[in-house]
Order: sequence, then C-alpha cells, then structure tokens
Amino acid sequence: MEARAELRSLLEEWVERARTLAGEGAELELYAQEHRGLTVKVYGGEVESLRYAHSRGLGVRVLKGGRLGYAYCTGFDWEECRRAVEEAAAIALFSAPDEHNRLPWPGGAYPEDLGIYHPEVEGTSSDEKVEIALRLEEFTISRDPRIKRVETAVYADAVSEVAVANSLGVSGSYRSTECQCYVFPIAEEGEESQTGFSFDVAVKPSDLDLERVAGEAADRATCLLGSRSMPSRRTTVVLDNMVAAEFMGMLAAALSAEAVLKARSFLAGRQGDRVASSLVTVVDDGLLPGAPSTAPFDDEGVPTRRKELISEGVLVGYLHNMYTASRSGTESTGNATRSSFRERPGVGATNLFLLTGKGTREELVRGVEDGVLILQVVGAHAGANPVSGEISLGALGLRIRNGELEQPLREITLAGKATDFLRHTVAVGEDLRFLPFEGSLGAPTVVVEGVMVSGRG
Amino acid sequence: MTLLDQDLAARVIGLALSRGGDFAELFAERRSGYNLRLEEGKVEENISGREAGAGIRVICGESVAYAYTNDLSPASLEETARAAAAAARAGKAAVVDMEKPLRHLPRLEEHPVRLSLGEFPRERKVELLHRADQAARETGSHIVQVVVVLGDARQEVFIANSLGEAVTDLRVRVRMVVQAVAAHEGEIQTGHESPGILGGYELFQEFPPEEIGRAAALQALTMLEARPAPSGPMAVVIANGTGGVLFHEACGHSLEADAVYKRASVFAGRMGQKVASPLVNAYDDATLANRWGSFVYDDEGVRAARTPLIVEGVLVGYINDRKRAMRDGAEPTGNGRRQSYRHVPIPRMSNTYIEAGGGRVEDIIADTELGLYARKLGGGEVNPVTGDFIFAVTEGYMIRKGKVAEPVKGATLIGNGPRVLLDIDAVGDDIDFDTGMCGKEGQLVPVCTGQPTLRVRELVVGGTTEVI
Repeated sequence: MEARAELRSLLEEWVERARTLAGEGAELELYAQEHRGLTVKVYGGEVESLRYAHSRGLGVRVLKGGRLGYAYCTGFDWEECRRAVEEAAAIALFSAPDEHNRLPWPGGAYPEDLGIYHPEVEGTSSDEKVEIALRLEEFTISRDPRIKRVETAVYADAVSEVAVANSLGVSGSYRSTECQCYVFPIAEEGEESQTGFSFDVAVKPSDLDLERVAGEAADRATCLLGSRSMPSRRTTVVLDNMVAAEFMGMLAAALSAEAVLKARSFLAGRQGDRVASSLVTVVDDGLLPGAPSTAPFDDEGVPTRRKELISEGVLVGYLHNMYTASRSGTESTGNATRSSFRERPGVGATNLFLLTGKGTREELVRGVEDGVLILQVVGAHAGANPVSGEISLGALGLRIRNGELEQPLREITLAGKATDFLRHTVAVGEDLRFLPFEGSLGAPTVVVEGVMVSGRG
Repeated sequence: MTLLDQDLAARVIGLALSRGGDFAELFAERRSGYNLRLEEGKVEENISGREAGAGIRVICGESVAYAYTNDLSPASLEETARAAAAAARAGKAAVVDMEKPLRHLPRLEEHPVRLSLGEFPRERKVELLHRADQAARETGSHIVQVVVVLGDARQEVFIANSLGEAVTDLRVRVRMVVQAVAAHEGEIQTGHESPGILGGYELFQEFPPEEIGRAAALQALTMLEARPAPSGPMAVVIANGTGGVLFHEACGHSLEADAVYKRASVFAGRMGQKVASPLVNAYDDATLANRWGSFVYDDEGVRAARTPLIVEGVLVGYINDRKRAMRDGAEPTGNGRRQSYRHVPIPRMSNTYIEAGGGRVEDIIADTELGLYARKLGGGEVNPVTGDFIFAVTEGYMIRKGKVAEPVKGATLIGNGPRVLLDIDAVGDDIDFDTGMCGKEGQLVPVCTGQPTLRVRELVVGGTTEVI
C-alpha cells in the first residue's frame, strides 16, 4: 500500500509529538479515517438525489493506568490533534481503571494485495455512475408488467483510507473501494402492492451485475402478490439466503466476546458445547479476498485472520479485540471494529458466514413436504434478540406443499429460540451470499424444522 | 456571532446555483458532545467529540444535489459549492439575487436550557450513571447487568438559502438510557428506560437517575416471571407512553410527504377521507416546550409548527420539507430534518402523538374480557407500502375478565397500520411521551412518540403458545 504512506507517517509523527502531552506512562493511539463517496438515487427515470461526501477525522485513545479517555475531532492538523490528545488525557480520569485496557504491540507485517482497492471507482465519472442507477431502475421495471415503479434505485461508492498508529510502535494504513447498487421495486395488482429488494456489491462499478439484481428484486416483489395470512402451526421453514444472512447478525452479536463477558449473549459460557446441528459451521474471515469487510488489520491495528466460531455444531470460540482477549486470557482474533473515528474500538464480525452445504434453494424446497419459504423478515432489530436468544419476527413468504411453492403469505410471524433454530437446522444449501449492510454477513439457504409460525385464518 | 460570515454564505449559494437550479442552501454546524457509558458498574466509555462541517444543496425540479465537507475554510466551501452545482444536472437557473444582504430570521429561545452542559461538572455527570446503576441493582437480586448511557450534545447551526434567508439556532440535548438485564434459572430478560430533553441537565430534576434505573430493573424482573405469550388474534390494550411508537412507525411514516409523493404510503390520495376511528386525533408538534423531538427552526430554517394529521378520524395533513412543499404547492410544515451536515434534509416527524381522549384507563381494561395489555413496546418495523407492521411487546400482561393478569413474554404485535387506526375502539385520558432516535434513509433524528392508553379491537399476537 505504497500510496498510503503519507497518512501513516503523519500519524507516526503526531504520536511522537503527543507522547509527553498524554502524561507520564500514558499510552496513546491515533486512528484516522478519510472517506470520499458518491451516492446516486434515481426515481422515475430522473436523478432524485446525488450526494458527494468528503470527510475525515481523527480519534484519539489515551490509556492512563488502565483508565481510558477518548476524544475525536474533524479538524485535521496538529493543533486539533493536540487539543484532542489533551482532552482524552483529561477525561481518562473519570473512567474506571481496568488493567485489560491495552493497546496492541506490533505483530509482524500486514498482508497486502487483498483485492479491496480498485482505481476504477475514482476513474469513473459521476455521469456514468448515474447511468448505472438509471439502468438498474429501467431493467427492474421492464422485468414484469406488474412492476409499475421502483421505490428507489441506488448506486453508491466509497473510497476510504484508514490509518492507525500507537505509542507501542504499531502503525499501518490501507485504502479500499466499495461500490454497491440496490433496488426496491413495487409490484401492484388490484388494490395490493408488495415490495421486493435485491442488491450487489463489488470493488469496482463494472463488476455490478445489474440484470441479476433487477430480475431478482422484481421476482421477490411479484411472487408475493395475492398473499394472505395462514393459521398458526408448527412447521418446517426454509430461510432464503438473504433472510438467513440477517439471522447471522444475531449470531454475530451473540458471538462477540464483549457480549459474552457482559452477560449479553445467549451463547455465553457455551464454549466447547454443542449448540447447533452438525451441519452448522460459522466462520469469520477478515482476509476473504474482495469481501466487503476484508482489511489487513482491524480497527486497533491487529492483523486480521480466518477462524471458525462454530465447528460442525460445536461452539469453539468467540470474537475478540485486545480488551476482551486480555480479560478472557486469550489472543485478539483481529475483531476490533468501530463504525467511525468517533468511536473507540468495540468487538465485531468481519466477514461472518455460515459455511455452505449442498443443494440449491429449489432443491431444498423440493425436499419439504409441508412448510413455509421465508423471503423477507420484518423487525429483525427488535425481534431477534441476541441477549435472550428469542426470535419473534414478522415474515413474508410462500407456502410449501409437497415440495412445491404455493400460496404467498403475509402477516405471519416466526417465533422461537435461536438455539432451537440452530439445533433443528436440517439442511444448509450451497448458495452463500453476503449482505453488506451491517458489517458483512453471509449465509446460504437454511432449512429449520419445527418452527412456530403464527397468523390468522 | 454566527458560524460563518454572511457574505461568504451568500457567495457560496450563488456558486451553487451557477449551473442552474430552483433553490440552493448552505447548512453549517458546529457540534460538541460528551458521552459516557457505564457497564458492570464501571465507566468504560468516556468520549468527548468536536465536529464541524457544512453541506450545500441544490434543488432542481425533483432532483437534489448535495455535497458536504468538514472543512469550513472559504476555499473548501467554494469547492464544495462547485461540486453541488456540477451535480445539478440540466436545469434552468432560477432568478436569484444573492447581492442583497441575507435577511436574518429572529433568534428565539423557546426551549430554555436551565442547567447548561458546561455548568454541570463532569464529576457529577459520572455520578449520575453510578446512581442509576446502583438503584437498578438494588431493585432485585436477579439483576445481573446494568448498562447506563448518558449523552449530551450542543449543536450550533447556521442556515442560509437562495430565498435570502438566514437562520441561526442552538440545540442542546441531554438523554439517559438505562438497560437492565435480569437472569434466573437460564431465563434472561431486559428492561429499558430512556428519558431525554431538548435542554440541559435539569432533566434529572424531573427524572432522578435512581428512578430511571429502578423502572428499567422492575421491567426486567417482571418479565423474568412471565409465561410465554399466547399466539392468535385478540383485543390489545396499548398503554400510554411507549405505545406511541406504533402510531409513529405504522402510520406516521406514511404521513411524510416524500412517501406520499412516491405512493410508498398507505395514505397517498386519502386526504380528507376517513382513515381512523372517530376517536382518533393525531398531531406532529415540534413546538412542545423542551421535548426531545422539539426545535425552534427545522434543519432547513423553517419555523417549527404544530401540524394536525388526523382529526376525528379524518386525514387532514401530511408533514413535509421545503422540497415537497415547493413541488406540491403546500405550506411548509417545518419538518425538514437531517442527522448532520453530512445528510440531506427530508420530511421527518418531531413529536408525534395521538391526543388524549375521554376514556378512563380502568374502564378500558375492565371492559376487556380477554386480551393482551401491552405495557411497553420495543422496536418494530413497518412496510410503508402495505402498512403491515410488527412490534415487540417488551412488557406485556394478559387481561382476563377485565383485570390485568399474569405477565407474558416474547409477544409481538402484528397487523396493518390503517386497519389498526380504524379498529381503535377506546382512547384514554392519560397521554404520555417517550423519546427515541428515529431512523430513515440511514439518518437518525431525535423524536418523541406519544399516546394515551388505547384499545385495538383485534390484533394478531405472535407468541409461542396457544391461548389458555
């Protein structure tokens, strides 16, 4: 990452200058983030909005006798940096001392060539990017006469640069690019309307598969037309890969050692236990080539890597940053994350996914005599609780009878315990897909038996 | 003193319109804040931040071009204005005279800050967290974890536009959120309280931290004793306060003019029609004194207002931003809001509520043979096109023979916004508000939801057992 040496050396210089400001025996970390991006939203063949972003900021972590102070600023010069260092050092006194607050030591060279940067993003004009969003909308509408319009079609990209340096000698930087497109079509028939959704994500604009996104989004909306509720019953559910990936968000939260240490995880104290069917293997891989959350190091400078968290149904480990690793007597897994320079590092997944099994969604559906294919869940934030492990979600989908997709369903709920979902997983498909929206969560189609589906009628 | 020189602002707006457009605006802000988080009885997050930035917007027909920077130097603002101008594709230049001096709208202090952020020492802020934590833990031995978050923020804004108007405003907000976790015999439940105001540390005179902690703990402890909720359709009495989130999510978002314009709203084309039971009156009111969702001017410099939405069951109003007001030929309602200079303003709710009715809470419950009493609602999600929603009941009880009976856990309410409005058959007199951070298009803004106790004739309860 030659080109990025400037930001890194600037931080190294500031760390040196700030050492004495933070006080005797204090440790210090600077984290800088710079971001340029473009977001285009189109509606009805017109640009609804076009947004250029440029921001950068600096986060300062000071540790004094285990007490943590954090300050950030958006000004990007030594004066602003100095003020933030002094502020962080001053407020550190109000934190409880905690011996596990520590910064990483340098741990060897960071990997390069992870396939996370491509100059095409910067080389593509905004007019061409507008075209991408317009084409996506047009493809979606022309897919089916019942798709009268799309709620929104979006192209978005970002070029980011991250650098971290600390007083123990860690220093690194990298840049990355990400492009995505997504569309929400509305299918209408009579009085009824249904929304669909699909997306794609890539390192460069020319890798976005607009035809596929348009087709899938349209199909997801139209197949729900004519939907109604169904009587409550316990049944087999097939979780579509996007839905299964949303469930992975709940697992990622529960597998965080921070949640475990703080009794906020239904998977706390279960290391070494069988928590899922042997078909379930969950992996977190910060080095997955070209994936949305791939980076050479995590947000406190620890090298990232691949690790299994659940191996064939057995819980083998949690996600750690420096702090949780120290408290648990283990090593950081390279899972320190922060959503911006405004936050101190917490614990989070990189690219976390359910390892594939065998079969397409069609094949898995064919194996279900009586059940429900779930295409959308609503309320995942509130209704999939990683603390209690309780799941209670609204859903849309299709009834399955004798391996065939039949009546579309709405106003139904799925309810149960996450541990039961994990244990009663009877099939895992091969169609792994990542949702790039909150971290990077991936799953193939999953079949779960004995789930309570409630509705009316 | 304003954030930016007025001449610079006028010049930047002129530049933004140099390639055409109907309207241009500059929004600049300076924000500072302090956030503390206590967990396991220890302050473990302690963050002080300072931030400044500006966003420049050009509206051209239905299109919006926006560019932002967090460098407020004249050179950077001019460059940002040029980026916004270049993004404003194909439009005729509006006839705008930026030569005249900007007309500064009056600076008002309708939401006084009685105990300012700087006056209240940091030591005492830290103490508030410990007081809430301790009170929560003392509420019961099964309380295993307490998280207390305290945040204060001071936001100075300066808004100038091609109408020649300029607005300066200061928003100060303080909020405490307490989450208590109770555990017993493998069962885990959580409780939640989150008072906040547009104001300063006087918040804790009305809400002592001990009471906030205790309320969150009691809720978790109660739910620990709860039986699994039944599933199926039944009458649901939704308590005052947090229940308002249901109206906010399931109906309020559909009353936002951008959703209506896109017909991504169940209320599109329904103006003047009966959309609710005649018992229902609903408002969005950003003028309520010191409420968490209030303001003096919105983020487009439009004066805050009280907007009737539904009167006696009839739809009478939508809430809009400048763009929708301009395009739809409507009066601006003062609901153009944004999370920060990094965000484009869009129609957003402020304090949205169903007005108190004439019913007494005891009578409403006494009149319910079998049903669910949803004392507290958690988060939910709504499909704006269909109005279908789902909400978690975080504190719920059965109603049996007109009396509140045993607590039930894991219940969700599932239904359809417009149908619920029509199915409201009792409205109590005990209106109360709750604070929240409302998310839309990736932007969070502070809002209040509110309602009195009310009853919905029938809703599907998603639970795990049969009704017994």
